[in-house]
Amino acid sequence: MKLRRIIYLGASALLFLIVFVIDVMRKNVELYVGGLNLTRDILVIVAFALIYTYFDAKKVHLGLTPIKRLGLVMIYSVIVGLFCLAIVLIADDTFDTKDKTLIPLTYGQLFIATFLSIVLGIFAILVFRLVREFVLFKRKRGTKRNFLIFVGLMLAAAVSTIPLQHLERSVLTSILVGFAILFAVVNSFRLPWIVYLTKREKIFCLIYGFVLFFTFVGLNVALGAESSMIRRSLLYHSYPLKQFVFLTTIFGNIYFGMAFISTLFHLPTAGAFDRKSSEVTSLHNLSRLVTQVFDFNELVETVTSMTLQVCEAKSCWLEIIHYADEQERNTLATNEVFAYNGTIGNYIIQLAGRKNIEQGEINSLLLTGEKTLRDQVIEERKPIVVEDLAADNRFKAIRKTKSAIGSLVVVPLVSHAGMIGILYATKDTPYGFFKDDVDVISAFADQATIAIENSRLIKKSIERERLLREMTLAQEIQRKLLPQSLPCYSTMEIDAISTPAFEVGGDYYDVVELDGNKLGIVVGDVSGKGVSAAFYMSEVKGIFQSLSRLYPSPREFMIKANEALSGSIDKHSFVSLIYAVVDVVTGKLTLARAGHCPLLHLSGENVAYLRPGGMGLGLSNGTAFEHSMEESTIHLKPGDVCVFYTDGVTEARHGDDEFGYERLLQAVVASKQKSASAVKDDILHSVKAHADKEENDDDLTVVVVKWLGSQP
Amino acid sequence: MSDFKIAQRETSSVNVLELKGYLDAHTAPKLEEAFQDLLKTNRTKIVVNCKDLSYISSAGLGVFMAFIEDVRNKSGDIKLTNMSKKVYNVFDLLGFPLLYEIFKDESEAVRKFSDRSPLDNDRK
Repeated sequence: MKLRRIIYLGASALLFLIVFVIDVMRKNVELYVGGLNLTRDILVIVAFALIYTYFDAKKVHLGLTPIKRLGLVMIYSVIVGLFCLAIVLIADDTFDTKDKTLIPLTYGQLFIATFLSIVLGIFAILVFRLVREFVLFKRKRGTKRNFLIFVGLMLAAAVSTIPLQHLERSVLTSILVGFAILFAVVNSFRLPWIVYLTKREKIFCLIYGFVLFFTFVGLNVALGAESSMIRRSLLYHSYPLKQFVFLTTIFGNIYFGMAFISTLFHLPTAGAFDRKSSEVTSLHNLSRLVTQVFDFNELVETVTSMTLQVCEAKSCWLEIIHYADEQERNTLATNEVFAYNGTIGNYIIQLAGRKNIEQGEINSLLLTGEKTLRDQVIEERKPIVVEDLAADNRFKAIRKTKSAIGSLVVVPLVSHAGMIGILYATKDTPYGFFKDDVDVISAFADQATIAIENSRLIKKSIERERLLREMTLAQEIQRKLLPQSLPCYSTMEIDAISTPAFEVGGDYYDVVELDGNKLGIVVGDVSGKGVSAAFYMSEVKGIFQSLSRLYPSPREFMIKANEALSGSIDKHSFVSLIYAVVDVVTGKLTLARAGHCPLLHLSGENVAYLRPGGMGLGLSNGTAFEHSMEESTIHLKPGDVCVFYTDGVTEARHGDDEFGYERLLQAVVASKQKSASAVKDDILHSVKAHADKEENDDDLTVVVVKWLGSQP
Repeated sequence: MSDFKIAQRETSSVNVLELKGYLDAHTAPKLEEAFQDLLKTNRTKIVVNCKDLSYISSAGLGVFMAFIEDVRNKSGDIKLTNMSKKVYNVFDLLGFPLLYEIFKDESEAVRKFSDRSPLDNDRK
C-alpha cells in the first residue's frame, strides 16, 4: 500500500519535472513539435490525477466530523489565499502576450507559474474532496447523480480548453462552464449536516463560513480577473487546470455561502434542537437501563441523573411507595398525612434518591397545607406542573426558606400493578417546564417504572428461590430427625405419623429402646412454627436420645431435660412434652407430662385422659418445675390402646368449632378393635373430615400404641 | 384469624388490657407492643382480662413469657382474669397457673395489687 502511494507521488513529481523541463526548453528554443502542447497538457492532467489518486489511497480526510472538515477547508483556503496575496505583492507579472499565447519572459516567472499551478491544483483537489463529503452526507435519491453530473460538466469544461490557446475563449467552454455553475448551485442545496451540529458547532460554522466566503471571493477574483497574474500563471501552465480550480472555487463560494445563510437561519432553533437530540439520546440510554435491574441503588442513581439531563432540571428526587400489604396497592387513601420513612396507613414513602436538593427542602415543599402535591398526584395519577412556586399560595412555607426553586413538575410512576413511585423535578426559573418537557419526563418515568418494577420483581424472585431452597433443605433434615422406622414387638403394636403445617414444623415424636426391655416414647410440640421451631425440636431430640438412657424415670428425665433446655431456649419459647416408658414384657407404662396434651387411654369399656401434673419445658428453671412434675403408672391389658398426640389434632378447626377431646375419644372408641395403624389412620381421617381447610394450620402428630399382651 | 384488638384502661393505678379475638403468631406483635409501651412508662401493675379472648396459640403464650420477668423485676406483675373454659385449659395444660396468678374476675386481680401480698410462685 505504502509503495503504491509512493509511486503515485513519485510519478506525479516526475511528470511535473518533465513539464517544467519542456517549458524551460520552449523558452529558449522555438519548438515546433506537433502535438507538444497537447502532450504537455495531458502530462499535467495525468500528474494531477495521480495526486488525486494518491490522496484517495492515503485516505486523507476520511471520517472527519463536518465541523472539522469545515475548519480544514477554511485553513487551507486562508493559507492559499495569503500565499497568492504574497506572490502578487512580491512578484511582477512578466508574461508577454502574443497571439493569445502567454510567454514567460523570465525563468522566475516560469518557476512561479509552475509552483502556483501545483499549489492551487493540490488545493483545488483537497477542497473538492472535502466538499464532496459535505454534499454526499445523508444522501438521498439523485444526490450522487447530481454530483456526478456536476463533476462531469466540470471535467468536460476543463478538457474542452485543451485545444485553446492561453487567452482564447470558446463558446463550448462557456456553455459547459455555465451548466457546471448551474449544477454547482443545485448541489449547494445539500446542507443536511448543518441541522445536526450542536449549537456551539453552529456558531463556529458561522464564523468559518464567513471567513471562507470572503476568502473564496478573493480567490475567484484572483482566478477570474483578466489582468490577474495568478490567472495568467495558471493559464500558462495548464488551461484545463485553471478551469478546474476556478470551477472548484466557484462551487466552494456558492456552497459555503449557502451554508452560512442556512446556519444563520438554523441558529434560533439550535438550542431546541440540541435539547430534543439529547432527550432522544437519554431515552435510548434509559431503555438500555431497563436491563440494568440487578442493583436497585444503581438504577435510582441513573434515573435521577438522567432526569436532570433530559429536561435540564436543576434538581430532582425520586420517591418509592412501599405497600405494607401488597394486595391493597390500588386502594390508596389520600386524606392521610404523609411523612418520610414512616408508616401511614397502608404504605411507606421512601426517598430513594435525590440530586441537588436537601431532604429538609423537600419536606417543606411537600408538607404544606391539607392537600399536598403528593396527595394530589396519588389521587389523580397524572403529572402536575407548578409553574411559579413563588406566586403559588400553597408553598408559603418554602418561600420562607429562600429556596431557589422557580417551577416544579411531579410525575407519577404507575406500573400495571399500581402506583409505585413519584418523580419530581425543579428548575430555577418559573415557567421553566413546557408541555414538551412534561411529555418527555412522563415517557421517561414510564421507562423508569418498568426498570424499577423489574428490579423489585427480580429481587423478590431471587429471595423467594433462596428461601425455598433453605426450606427444602430444612425439611429434608427435619424428616430425618423423626424415627425412620418403629420397632416391632410381639406384645404391642405401635404406629405414628407427623405432618408439619408449613414446610418445617415444631412437632416431634421419637422412640428409644432402653435397657431392661423398655421402650421410651416421646411426643412433643415446640411453640411457634417454621424454621425456628424446628431448631428447638432438633435440640429436644438430642436431649431425649441422650438423657432418656441416663434417666429411666420419666419424671427425672423431664427435670433434667428442663435444666438442659432452659439454658438455651429464649424467653418467648417453650416445649411441651409427654414421655412414657413401656415395659414391653410386662405392659407397665410410666408416664410424665410436661405441659402437653393428656394421654388418651382406652381399656375395655373405659376411656380416660391421663393428665399428671407438670408444666412445659423452658417456662421455669427454678424449683417450680420440679415441684409441679408428677409421674403416673398404669398397667396395660391386652386390647388397651394409648394415643399420644399434639394440639394440632384437638384444635383442628371447622369455622369456630374445634375437633376437640370428645371427638378424638369417639374416634378411638370406634376403632378400638383395629390395629394401631388402623386406629392412627382413622383418627387422621376424622380430623381431616372435620377440618374445613385443605392444609392443616398446625403441625399434626399422632402415635398409637396397642397392647397385645404376651402371646400364649 | 387476624382479628385481634386490645382495649386499654386504668383503674386504681392498675392498667387493664382487654383482649378481644384471636391471639396467634400473626396478632401477637400487637400485644408485644402494648407490653413494651407499659414497661417503657413504668406502668407495671398489669391485669389482662381475657373475657373476649377466643383463642390463644403458643405464640401468644410466648408474649407473656417474654415480658413477665422484666415486669416482675420492676416490682409489678401480670395477672390474668376472666378466661373462658377453653382458654383456661390451654393455660392450665402448660402449667401457667403455677407461674401466674389467674383469677375468675378482674376485680379480684385489681384488689390483689393493692393487697401487696408477696407472690408465692417461683420467678423465672
